[in-house]
Amino acid sequence: MITANGLTRRFGEITAVDGLDLHIERGEVFGFLGPNGAGKTTTIRMLSALIAPTSGSATIAEKTLGKDNRAIRERVGVLTETPGLYKRLSAWDNLLFFARLYRIDRPEQQAEKYLKMFELWDRRNGLTGTFSKGMRQKLALARALLHEPKILFLDEPTAGLDPEAAKMVRELIESLRSKERTIFLCTHNLDEADRLCDRIALFKSRLLTVGDPQSLRERMYGRRTVVHLANPNPGIEGQLDLPFITKTEWIDGRLLISLSDPETENPILVRKLVELGADVQFVSELKVSLEDLYLDLMEGNHVST
Amino acid sequence: MYRLKVLLIKEWRESLRNKMVLFGVIFLPLILVGTSVFMLTTGVAAEDPIAQVVLFNTSLMYFMLLPAIIPLAIAVYSIVGEKEQTTLEPLLATPISDTELFLGKALASVIPAVLVNWISFGLFLGVTRLLVGGFLLQTLTLPWLASIFGLTPLLALFSVGVTMIVSSRASDARAAYQFSSLAILPGLVPLIVYSSMKTIVDMRLILLEAALLVVAGAVVLYFAVKLFRREQILTRWK
Ligand SMILES: Nc1ncnc2c1ncn2[C@@H]1O[C@H](COP(=O)(O)OP(=O)(O)OP(=O)(O)O)[C@@H](O)[C@H]1O
Ligand SMILES: [Mg+2]
Repeated sequence: MITANGLTRRFGEITAVDGLDLHIERGEVFGFLGPNGAGKTTTIRMLSALIAPTSGSATIAEKTLGKDNRAIRERVGVLTETPGLYKRLSAWDNLLFFARLYRIDRPEQQAEKYLKMFELWDRRNGLTGTFSKGMRQKLALARALLHEPKILFLDEPTAGLDPEAAKMVRELIESLRSKERTIFLCTHNLDEADRLCDRIALFKSRLLTVGDPQSLRERMYGRRTVVHLANPNPGIEGQLDLPFITKTEWIDGRLLISLSDPETENPILVRKLVELGADVQFVSELKVSLEDLYLDLMEGNHVST
Repeated sequence: MYRLKVLLIKEWRESLRNKMVLFGVIFLPLILVGTSVFMLTTGVAAEDPIAQVVLFNTSLMYFMLLPAIIPLAIAVYSIVGEKEQTTLEPLLATPISDTELFLGKALASVIPAVLVNWISFGLFLGVTRLLVGGFLLQTLTLPWLASIFGLTPLLALFSVGVTMIVSSRASDARAAYQFSSLAILPGLVPLIVYSSMKTIVDMRLILLEAALLVVAGAVVLYFAVKLFRREQILTRWK
């Protein structure tokens, strides 16, 4: 649905996006993560045909960037970094204005559908200048959806919202998931990316890594099993002569064991530990947060492909 | 064309809710018409037909200034307002073309400016005739009519072009107003020429003024159009 080859954008001396290669499938929710100034907004602007790349090419919804820009704009919806609503116009007038610019068949029906879906129907005649941040964000999201775009670009949809409003917006995004709709989600919220996205990309001017959240963790850290022992015996790891164990270490009196396939290897591991006289209290998987992964990558602690 | 219409309606709907715009478009012309008629009917003028003719001629000059003043507020708001509300990006994300956007923004100010000026002029003539007498209307020669009807669109276009350029670079409305007020200068030219040369309005002067305005307008619009490219708007406008 979205393909980019060597997409690059410079602003004078600054290279905001440097040789971005991407391939995103139809129906995928793709998370695009990176620190402030990484070039996320610039990427969205290029992919939605708002600004031209300095070099490189892209195909969006089967249309060539630079050649069919108008067709691209008709097929994508963009939730910009700021909601960008006309505050002197009502929610209804805001939506109808955009619906008509997209020349959709039944502007009123579409506006009604999304106002109802986002629980803004009762406030449709209110000026958006009087709306709360969360309401504005929902209205902006409704606007991005009016013309039923095949591709939806969301630039930090929950930034600046209180936890409740953020949750609401997140649930809306969750509900927008469909086989027909591809979602490109820029976010700083790693937890959000972890929960919503099929695949994520970590990006800082260049693409650092891409993959589904779970396999990214595994690729970086492998999988690890934590064993709590009632009688931590410092010598015990030396006697664990199981072939699948790649590494063992003690952390806070718990034994941390790196292995590749805990589903089949953990039972063997536990049997062995019991044989060695260990009193096993808990066995669990060590979860690496996406945050650790993100921070490590951004600091360049790991080189990954 | 459909998108242009949609944009125009949006601009006017927003304008109607903006006090600054309403002041410039409705109250200012009314005040000018009111004071002109007031001067014609009171004081020296009422007793002195010569003074009345002079005052009448001066009042006619107002209708050379109004077309440049009226669009200021609309044009400033329609650009600075979009910037302040950060609506440019969602707007540019739609399939609207750069030309449609430019025309929409320009016509949103030019059309009311021209109409309001003509209406104010009609109002002024009507009220003058009623309160002062029809004899003054004989002063209204063909050159006068030509300048008010013919030059109005050109003056408005020039003013709007200047305001659009200034507004695209200005970070707030106040600064934009101040610089854009310079756009009323061409409207002052005839005022200065007529009063200094003590000539009566004559067709040659009007044609000259029109030619100058066409050239100035073309230059201004050329630069304004160049500023109205998506890329420029998103990356250069402050
Ligand atoms: N119009 C512009 N002119 C000059 N430089 C720009 C422009 N737009 C973006 N940049 C630069 O490009 C880089 C990337 O900016 P961008 O807004 O894409 O980052 P971002 O990842 O969206 O950041 P954030 O998380 O803060 O939104 C920054 O260094 C920024 O200063
Ligand atoms: Mg950004």
